[in-house]
Amino acid sequence: MYKIVKKESLNPTVSKMVIEAPLIAKKAEPGQFIIFRAKEDSERVPLTISDFDREAGTVTIIYQIVGGATMELDTLKEGESLHDFVGPLGVPTHTEGLKKVAVIGGGVGSAIAYPVTKKLHKMGAEVHAIVGFRNKDLVILEDEFKNASDKFVMMTDDGSYGEKGLVTDALEKLINEGNDYDEVIAIGPLIMMKFVCLTTKKYDIKTVVSMNPIMIDGTGMCGGCRLTVGGETKFACVDGPDFDGHLVDFDEAMHRGTMYKDFETKAREASCNLLKGANA
Amino acid sequence: MAERNMSMEKCPMPVQDPDVRNKNFDEVALGYTYEMAVNEARRCLNCKNKPCTSACPVQIDIPAFIERVANEDIEGAYEVLSKQTSLPAVCGRVCPQENQCEGKCVRGIKGEAVGIGRLERFVADYHREHCTEAPVKPESNGHKVAVIGAGPSGLTVAGDLAKMGYEVTIYEALHLAGGVLVYGIPEFRLPKSIVQKEIDNLKAIGVDVQTNMVIGRILTIDELFEMGNEAVFVGSGAGLPRFMNIPGESLKGVYSANEFLTRINLMKAYKEDSKTPIQHAKKVAVVGGGNVAMDAARSAKRLGAEEVYIVYRRGMEELPARKEEVEHAEEEGIIFKTLNNPLEILGDEDGMVCGMKCIEMELGEPDESGRRRPVAKEGSEFVLDVDSVIMAIGTSPNPLIRSTTPGLETNNRGCLITKDENGQTTREGVYAGGDAVTGAATVILAMGAGKAAAKSIDEYIKSKN
Ligand SMILES: Cc1cc2nc3c(=O)[nH]c(=O)nc-3n(C[C@H](O)[C@H](O)[C@H](O)COP(=O)(O)OP(=O)(O)OC[C@H]3O[C@@H](n4cnc5c(N)ncnc54)[C@H](O)[C@@H]3O)c2cc1C
Ligand SMILES: Cc1cc2nc3c(=O)[nH]c(=O)nc-3n(C[C@H](O)[C@H](O)[C@H](O)COP(=O)(O)OP(=O)(O)OC[C@H]3O[C@@H](n4cnc5c(N)ncnc54)[C@H](O)[C@@H]3O)c2cc1C
Ligand code: SF4
Ligand code: SF4
Ligand code: FES
Repeated sequence: MYKIVKKESLNPTVSKMVIEAPLIAKKAEPGQFIIFRAKEDSERVPLTISDFDREAGTVTIIYQIVGGATMELDTLKEGESLHDFVGPLGVPTHTEGLKKVAVIGGGVGSAIAYPVTKKLHKMGAEVHAIVGFRNKDLVILEDEFKNASDKFVMMTDDGSYGEKGLVTDALEKLINEGNDYDEVIAIGPLIMMKFVCLTTKKYDIKTVVSMNPIMIDGTGMCGGCRLTVGGETKFACVDGPDFDGHLVDFDEAMHRGTMYKDFETKAREASCNLLKGANA
Repeated sequence: MAERNMSMEKCPMPVQDPDVRNKNFDEVALGYTYEMAVNEARRCLNCKNKPCTSACPVQIDIPAFIERVANEDIEGAYEVLSKQTSLPAVCGRVCPQENQCEGKCVRGIKGEAVGIGRLERFVADYHREHCTEAPVKPESNGHKVAVIGAGPSGLTVAGDLAKMGYEVTIYEALHLAGGVLVYGIPEFRLPKSIVQKEIDNLKAIGVDVQTNMVIGRILTIDELFEMGNEAVFVGSGAGLPRFMNIPGESLKGVYSANEFLTRINLMKAYKEDSKTPIQHAKKVAVVGGGNVAMDAARSAKRLGAEEVYIVYRRGMEELPARKEEVEHAEEEGIIFKTLNNPLEILGDEDGMVCGMKCIEMELGEPDESGRRRPVAKEGSEFVLDVDSVIMAIGTSPNPLIRSTTPGLETNNRGCLITKDENGQTTREGVYAGGDAVTGAATVILAMGAGKAAAKSIDEYIKSKN
């Protein structure tokens, strides 16, 4: 069993859990993920390893409550255990040889962008972190990013915190100020990653994105996580989740992401009712 | 000596009515009653030269076990089976008997072969239901062996070695042990409780089953050796699904058979209250003609599809699936569109499947495999009206283990190379068997490979100490 050593709410819909998983902690690298099942009959759902402590034998996950599986996860308390926790899965983010990088995180994607930011900073690379949120209430990991970057830009859609605007505006401004990046790493909603890629394409800057399609096994067995990258079919769980953003077919990925929308809406309503029942 | 039964026909297997069963996931074949089994066993002529045995991949002493059934010594029959197979309840259900044991039965020359598989199933089920003895844990010999993958090959190696006293740990990537037996083959053909029972028995004799362990990621084979294992068996199967590389395969509503069946079996999407989403399509095309295709088609029907097609590029005669499964599928209303090949999957503006463009085929000259090669009939394109497509055109071994293990060589199809039938790979101390070596094959071959590997692992470890 995988015990929850610590649980903390980061904003109204995003929580953090520190999980006891010594073998995973020993091997984890930024960019990798785990698949969990909260309970015996739960869905299998992927989450990025957003931090790990090899000595303590723990792995940190940060999740946004969006549907049935994440709601169920959120019902577990500190001291309780997750039924299944498998990882580390996927290929670690490539960082070798990078000297100057812009890391962009959008919404809960910031949680996924944080470990690689930290690693690059530790390696001695110059890291510019740009994070974007819809509004002030949703901001997460601000101090962590500040401590792990040479330049930090906070953007909100409504201007309630940091600067008003999109992460692409901030990126373009930095590029125009003469920052010459070896690479841009963008992690967030598909639409954000798509627009970051369109921006960097203009300036011909290599861009890595972290894809998050629907997954089941995470071992390359089902093909459910397939994407088209440079005209070829790739499995995000074993070939990724990082891919060259200029080659990813984002429109297809956005379509595939909505496969079970109706089912999920129903499941979410059912869970909400259950939760209400439990609280009543 | 019991009287011989000279009926030309096999005692028929009681089955659920096709129109009832194509709406539920309960087992289709209900199994022989005691009387039926004894009666069927009495059709066996107890042939001296045992042609049936020579056609069984694990050489079960068929006349010997059947004779015991004829004499109503079911536990005795079970003992005979146990010498050669560790999964009789499984093989009796899923072996392609018509090409193996039953294909060579002399009673099949004029009439129907003895129902060997059905008898094997009966004996195993009878034993499971009546045996009260708890399995005993053998005394440890102090040697450790690691097994990767909890499919039929891995389970067999683990069981055989544990019985010899080895301390065996199975590492399984999924949250449940059983391999294809739990994630692929549906409940209506192989109830999961049977597989679970086999796994419980292994645990009872001391096998440690560690789930959620993807070897190559969490631990490498080198680390398994560092942890004190003296040998490692790789039974990781052939789980990587193939696609056709035709336009439209990324549309919503296109599944690999592995994804579709995993959602249904492993994740229980067939149950009303399941949390796993699955598309309940109206019209489904399953591409392929093997057991996997039949399972996907029959599962789709059970989820409520009105029309389910098998689209296969060769003819009915060439379907690689077990004969019984093809017959069951036909009875359940699956429509066979043989001699047709998909060209493109068509989608609507939401990216959802709305049809599949196919072309008619005809059989030309035989190819290397001796089968007549299908060739497209020019100008015969047509659109099949479907809202879901399931690709069941084969799988290959997952590259994860080979890419993380120095010294482990594979052939051009990604299958691990073994030096002989004992499963020794190109790396000392590492053995392999089942689909990981042969590519997608059968349960009994995987189990047989596991038996052979257990024997050579034992010899290898003894020779070292
Ligand atoms: C490699 C990988 C890493 C991920 N890392 C994180 C992470 O660190 N933190 C985090 O909060 N989330 C992460 N995700 C997304 C997370 O897996 C989904 O939010 C989760 O599957 C939703 O499950 P649910 O049952 O709660 O919601 P559902 O009811 O399944 O979905 C609710 C909504 O989310 C959408 N959705 C479903 N699955 C996904 C998905 N995989 N990605 C994006 N949207 C989805 C649905 O279309 C629906 O609109 C990651 C996904 C992948 C593939
Ligand atoms: C739908 C379907 C129907 C079939 N029907 C029949 C039939 O009727 N009759 C018949 O004889 N055969 C049938 N087969 C084929 C048969 O199931 C396989 O040949 C057999 O299961 C192979 O056994 P195996 O032990 O080699 O591998 P598998 O059963 O594939 O098991 C391999 C196991 O290894 C695990 N694994 C993989 N990689 C790793 C890793 N890196 N670390 C840890 N674990 C790992 C997998 O999760 C899996 O559990 C069918 C197959 C399918 C898919
Ligand atoms: S294991 Fe398979 S081939 Fe051998 S006797 Fe049993 S059913 Fe026949
Ligand atoms: S060939 Fe047929 S009749 Fe002869 S021993 Fe085997 S099962 Fe019996
Ligand atoms: S999640 Fe199944 S292949 Fe990637």
